[in-house]
Amino acid sequence: MDESQLIARVRAGDSAAERALYDAHVDRVYRLAFRLAGDDALAQDFTQETFIRAFDRLGSFRGDAAFSTWLHTITTTVVLNGLRKVKRFRQREADIDDAQDIGVMQRRAEPDLKARLTQAIDGLPEGYRTVFVMHDIEGYTHEEIGAALGVETGTSKAQLSRARAKLRVALADFEGEWAR
Amino acid sequence: MIDQHEDPKFEHWLVKVTQEYNAPPATPRDRMWQRMEEARRSKRVIELRPWLRWAIAAAAVLVVGIGIGRWSVNQKSPSGARAVVAMDTARQDAAYQVAAQQYLSRTEVLLTDFRAQSARPGGRLDPQFVASARDLLTTTRLMLDSPAAARDPRLQPLLEDLELVLAQITQLPAEPGRKTEMDFINQGMNQRSVLTRLRTATPAVPGTVPVRAEGAL
Repeated sequence: MDESQLIARVRAGDSAAERALYDAHVDRVYRLAFRLAGDDALAQDFTQETFIRAFDRLGSFRGDAAFSTWLHTITTTVVLNGLRKVKRFRQREADIDDAQDIGVMQRRAEPDLKARLTQAIDGLPEGYRTVFVMHDIEGYTHEEIGAALGVETGTSKAQLSRARAKLRVALADFEGEWAR
Repeated sequence: MIDQHEDPKFEHWLVKVTQEYNAPPATPRDRMWQRMEEARRSKRVIELRPWLRWAIAAAAVLVVGIGIGRWSVNQKSPSGARAVVAMDTARQDAAYQVAAQQYLSRTEVLLTDFRAQSARPGGRLDPQFVASARDLLTTTRLMLDSPAAARDPRLQPLLEDLELVLAQITQLPAEPGRKTEMDFINQGMNQRSVLTRLRTATPAVPGTVPVRAEGAL
């Protein structure tokens, strides 16, 4: 059974078809949610919300683009909006922490490559980070990224290039690793 | 023009080393599917409870009556189209108001209980409590998605704050010794006066009759 037939059966209320459609796409949705959120509970919440919305709105899917493209548009919207809210809340917590830590200076150990890499990617502007994670880590094409984020393919390419340039500066201490 | 292949060696290295960045575990397919099913079932329950159907039907009858009345007063005006739009809006608002009242009551009870649990030594939440918070988080998100929520400027910011608080509670690890994190959540709630706003909140839907909700305090 091809995907359009599966979607037609989901629209007709076939719960087995719904599960089959979920099984076909859940790995990629969850992987992207986890890569962007870096937290299992959040990634699960975002994945569930993505599929709940997708099934609720399946009637509006016209089939002009691939179902996966449409689903990834929902995924990126859910994840990015969710992360903005979490960031707001964490900022409030950080403000409380800062208030409690006034006058306490901590010496930070020199981080290793993994920690520096994580810090550098987390520090990218949201748009750059999203494109970098989708393209270089999860293997999405610029066409898929453009469709999911609602931007031109050229914008996706430019953001990736800028993300890499920023990472190169942030990881300059490790130049020996890639120049070999 | 930006050349994205400025340094192939760096890019090759970058792709290789970043595979460990937020590396996802195996997809918990069945667990997520089960939770989705529960969330969708509870959404259906909210939509189909008999008292809610009666409330919607009553509002619809009221609006149809008003619509017919207006139409009969001025048959030449295009009031028919307006009445249909008004009926749809009122039906949504009535459903939203009833669901909101019930939801606010349950959330108030849960957050009051959370505050009491935070004051106890041990710093651990009951798994059932966390499950209730997760249910309410799902309901919060469904309500935030509702078109009626967008028409309610008083409740929208409160729902957003509640979503954040509930998300924090559901992310608390199950083991004991979490009192500090629980205190942080309480401090966040205090700073935003979440409980006070929750206690005084009533859905701001003009022109609808207040409905007593199940479980209201």
